[in-house]
Amino acid sequence: MKKWLSALILVMVVFSLAACGQKDDKAGEGKKEATTNKVFKIGAIPDQNAADLDKGMTAVAKYLSEKTGLKVEFVPSVDYAALVTGFQRGEIHMAWFGGLTSVQARNLVPEAESIVQRPRDAEFHSVFITQSSENFTKLEDLKGKSFTFGSESSTSGHLMPRYYLTEAGIDPNKDFDGKPNFSGSHDTTYKLIESGAFKAGALNEAVWEAAVKEGKVDTNKVKVFYTTPAYFDYNWTVNSNVEDVFGKGTKNKVKEALLSITSEQKEIADLFQTDRFVETKNDNYKKIEMVAKELKIIK
Amino acid sequence: MKSIFRLHNRFILSLVLAAVFVWSLFSIQWGTDLFHAGGIPTMLQIFEGLIHPDLSTEVLSLGFESAWITLAYAVAGMSLAIIYAFIIGILASGVLASNKTSIIISKVFFRGILGFTRSIHELIWAWLFVAAVGLSPYAAIFALAIPYGGILGRIFADMLNDVSEQPIKALKSAGATRLQTLIYGYLPLICADMISYTMYRFECAIRSSAIMSFVGLGGLGYQIQLSLADLKYDQVWSYVFFLIGLVLVVDIWSNFVRKGLTERKRRHGFSTGWRSTFFAILLILGSWVYIKLGENAQLFELLSGKNLEYAKKFFGGMIGINDRQPAFLDTGSWAAALKLTLETLEMSIMAIGFATIAAFFTVIPAARNIANGSLTSNKKWYNWFLYGIVRVVYIFSRSVPELVWAMMIIFIFKPGLLPGAVALALHNFGILGKLWAEVIEDMDPRPIRNLAAAGASKIETFFYGILPTVLPRFLTYILYRWEVIMRTTIVVGFVGAGGLGMDFKLAMSFFNYTQITLLLLCYMILVIIADFASESTRKAVK
Repeated sequence: MKKWLSALILVMVVFSLAACGQKDDKAGEGKKEATTNKVFKIGAIPDQNAADLDKGMTAVAKYLSEKTGLKVEFVPSVDYAALVTGFQRGEIHMAWFGGLTSVQARNLVPEAESIVQRPRDAEFHSVFITQSSENFTKLEDLKGKSFTFGSESSTSGHLMPRYYLTEAGIDPNKDFDGKPNFSGSHDTTYKLIESGAFKAGALNEAVWEAAVKEGKVDTNKVKVFYTTPAYFDYNWTVNSNVEDVFGKGTKNKVKEALLSITSEQKEIADLFQTDRFVETKNDNYKKIEMVAKELKIIK
Repeated sequence: MKSIFRLHNRFILSLVLAAVFVWSLFSIQWGTDLFHAGGIPTMLQIFEGLIHPDLSTEVLSLGFESAWITLAYAVAGMSLAIIYAFIIGILASGVLASNKTSIIISKVFFRGILGFTRSIHELIWAWLFVAAVGLSPYAAIFALAIPYGGILGRIFADMLNDVSEQPIKALKSAGATRLQTLIYGYLPLICADMISYTMYRFECAIRSSAIMSFVGLGGLGYQIQLSLADLKYDQVWSYVFFLIGLVLVVDIWSNFVRKGLTERKRRHGFSTGWRSTFFAILLILGSWVYIKLGENAQLFELLSGKNLEYAKKFFGGMIGINDRQPAFLDTGSWAAALKLTLETLEMSIMAIGFATIAAFFTVIPAARNIANGSLTSNKKWYNWFLYGIVRVVYIFSRSVPELVWAMMIIFIFKPGLLPGAVALALHNFGILGKLWAEVIEDMDPRPIRNLAAAGASKIETFFYGILPTVLPRFLTYILYRWEVIMRTTIVVGFVGAGGLGMDFKLAMSFFNYTQITLLLLCYMILVIIADFASESTRKAVK
């Protein structure tokens, strides 16, 4: 027994040393490869069904490859913050962000630019939902009730609902029954309200409409009682390093390609629930930035 | 006289622990609104998924792939952890030090390192590494290796210190150097315990490896989280079953190894030990080769100038460079964080309390030597049946990650500390039960048989025979799991269970680095409290 223990340890030590040596050789090769074979990586915030997102974004990558001649690849990401971090590190060259994440990303990469959005993103809404038995009519009625947001990084599931709550004189950190919850996703939010875990919640209007249409939510149990005013939300943001890595004019090439998408690209149109994309600019998100600063979500 | 005093000590200690548990219960406002029936349809949907898991080829192939990734990360992480634990553990035990001062210095210094590395949960390490070096498999491997190395190293050091003195003295008087006493004296004496403990930690590492992939590193946890977010409960269960399978295989292997260590008889040809060693080496090789080639992980890239710059930026942010108001210098932030720390403490105590109660009522049928009647010389047909059921419940309970338990019960409990504590208890009761059952299996059967032969009833044998013998080790495991639970509260904090975890997640999402530092400091305070409490109780039981 003593023998086999020492053999085990010995082999492990030798192997780990060998592994280290091997790593260095390999890493050298890999590095060379990475510089000659550039891949334009796109990402998207994971705010909907992962399988659908994967399908739609892979279609976007394929379309962009055909239009621009770049090698485009979709990199899935598990949470909002991880995508922003990847963008900051220059590993993601272009991303489909929500309003808040695009502001966070541009805060970390000042030269980045929001270039394209859907027509509906210029006037996006959040809905406040509650159980059918409750007779809330306005946000003020939420005082003393339990409440859930979606993901903390979401514009339509957290930032703007929080803003309009504050406008209505409700301090989300103090005025609810307990602290507000962060469900993590829009779909979980309506599930939690349906189950009665929370009295009310806020989510993305588009996700809510889709859930109603597909029968994923029981409308006998959950109802909308307030819809927020319009604000700017989702957009494609392109990283600052794109022109350096892929050559001058890449940004425009990609932008033109995105703007040329029509409902003929069915998989893309299905994912984004749109038949076209339109231009946008950084200034459109000034209000979101202001709100985020006011609520101390960004510095 | 002394024995009476000891008994008193234990009695008082048990009372104190029970009182602390009751105190923690007061942190909840008990009432009927804690539970709401509206969640029952959702619970039913979740259970439907349990009965009809998604077994389509797509899910199955993804399941196999993810299970392998989870296993490979766990093996690779453990292999580094063992090396780290072995070296630092020996140094921390002080057996190599020559005089009193150097013993104390090495003990304080290296035990400090071990304490620091294990005070932070692997999920946090993973998060920090991902933020600092990006999504690389090495982030997962190091995140696993560091806290596991810390725990293993500490146990190795404790084992070395507990070695009986006579054999060592004999070696020393025969003229052995310190290194020789280590190699021929200490190590052979503790190697059985070391292997058995390492195997147990390996099983934990698999579960951690799954949990860790929540940060986006691939593997079963990642798949579970994706399916949960999409409300596809049938897929969630498919992946949970893969995880259970993985844990089960390791459990069987670990039993096999433990058996080989306790029964010292050698079979002809290939002995159990050699076969296991061979298998372990194969697994380690396979994992590393896969991570190198399959995942195309490059250690060199981790150390590139660009990465160092990001890491510098990140850790610089954590110590408050360029921040006019670092959270850790702000009294308001401290007050809020300390309140959360207290909540976390209460949640962990409640969780271990619930887990202890559940394990206490189930542990007796779960011991193999009670099931086969060898302990009590009392054989009943239903004993094996009970044994099977309880063991399956244990495996199920501990294979389902805390986060999944929490995601389910949040639908029927009012969000807050209670669902968090219940989720943690559901997961830990299986672990505690398994550890306790093994204690009973390893105990000396003679006194119990005597009691049984003298006509003691089942309950009498339990209270007068089994309990007094195993109580100290039961207590040790309770305290030890409590330490673990305290760190794990972060995992359930994510789903609205309160405590430090939720704030940590928010701070990460809002890139509020100094707040992260503050919360990490709070975690360290908790771990120091836990270390102190368990150290002093262990002494009291001895």
